[in-house]
Amino acid sequence: MRCLLIGCEVLLRELADAIARAPHTIDVDFLPKGLHDVGGVRMRQALQTAIDQADPARHEAVLLGYALCGNGLHGLEARRVTLVAPRAHDCIALLMGSRQRYDEYFHAHEGVYFRSTGWLERGRDVEQLARDAGTDFTLADLIRKYGEDNGRYLYDELRRYEKNYRQLTFIETGLEPDGRFEQEARAEAAEKHWQFEKIGGDLGLFRKLVAGEWDPADFLVVEPGGRIVASYDDGVIKAERMD
Amino acid sequence: MVDLQQLHEAILNGDAKTAAAVAQAALAQNVPALELIQTAMVPAMDEVGRRFECQDYFVPELLLSARAMKAALEPLRPLLAASGAQPAGKVVIGTVQGDLHDIGKNLVAALLEGGGFEVTDLGVDVAPEKFVETVQKTNANIVCLSALLTVTMLSMKTTIDGLRAAGLREQVTVLVGGAAVTRQFAEEIGADGYGENASAAVALARACAKAATVG
Repeated sequence: MRCLLIGCEVLLRELADAIARAPHTIDVDFLPKGLHDVGGVRMRQALQTAIDQADPARHEAVLLGYALCGNGLHGLEARRVTLVAPRAHDCIALLMGSRQRYDEYFHAHEGVYFRSTGWLERGRDVEQLARDAGTDFTLADLIRKYGEDNGRYLYDELRRYEKNYRQLTFIETGLEPDGRFEQEARAEAAEKHWQFEKIGGDLGLFRKLVAGEWDPADFLVVEPGGRIVASYDDGVIKAERMD
Repeated sequence: MVDLQQLHEAILNGDAKTAAAVAQAALAQNVPALELIQTAMVPAMDEVGRRFECQDYFVPELLLSARAMKAALEPLRPLLAASGAQPAGKVVIGTVQGDLHDIGKNLVAALLEGGGFEVTDLGVDVAPEKFVETVQKTNANIVCLSALLTVTMLSMKTTIDGLRAAGLREQVTVLVGGAAVTRQFAEEIGADGYGENASAAVALARACAKAATVG
């Protein structure tokens, strides 16, 4: 079997590991983390363009290395090739290997922020809001663009979210080269005065996705002519006919 | 004579100091507060919303314009209160339980306040009971619920159910928004409206307020 995997670059290491072990031939297209920050509609458009590159004569399925991600998957169409997506709200559930585990952890730890290798080396959050407006998210750049008073105001306003969080949890998948990522996560937690915790990740969902082991409890398979829509129950996403 | 166009420009450009100064000067010259709001400030915020829609403005510009709007509104408040002018509506707003994201919610709150609404902002991670209690206390007629994470958005439904159980559902218009929310979801959980972005949220609230006045 040959498949096209479209993945978020934040999950590149985990997906690359899974591909290396896959019994199938996997073509890949990694998309920038920035899609996470531009809103569900624009993220979906970019993903649909990537999905439409799949060749029905060549690919048996398009595999999405994504979670629902703020509705970024909502409305994606399987036009010519079968689409497969893991059932999860956020990629943190993928890194934990189970959406139930993510759900339990999330609700048991108030104010938790997550980091993984990908989030550390490729992902930052509110920076995108400044970047959209044509500036970098540093105090100096904001002041340069908006003046002293407004620059400081924006910097404080866009960083205010940090006060809402209490804990930074680093998910260690076992693929890390050494302790550098953990150290970076620890330093970030210390700088923001958050508690630090390290938990073990689980690569099971990544491996099953590329191995073609699509248990309906964990994966949604959408045949051509169908689309993915958000579903407001434990299944997270469901298929809907396009016509 | 004070140039109201200057106030309009100051809000558009996110210049809070000038906006406040021009509003002060206008009041000193006995320009009625309501006239300032209706002829300069509200049209300025409408233009800000329009620019945001067509991506001339982004979140930073929106935050700065809302800030300028609030600065200009500050000296007008006591006069508006004394004149007995009613707010456009009474809003209770918050990010629902479990969710800590507040940039979008803060923006909507600031824009609503700028639009003449009386806004009670409950912050983030707000329990359904807190919404119920605050609606009872403030006698609000609009409730705005925000969620960024799809994993927390079911709290919106719990909140609406809570309002219904407390007998408040008929009294309030419930508007929902945030990245987690889609129009379908809003309909499914029985919300009255869905705003795709901050400026759409304000337009919705205004439409509700207007419908309430007419109705």
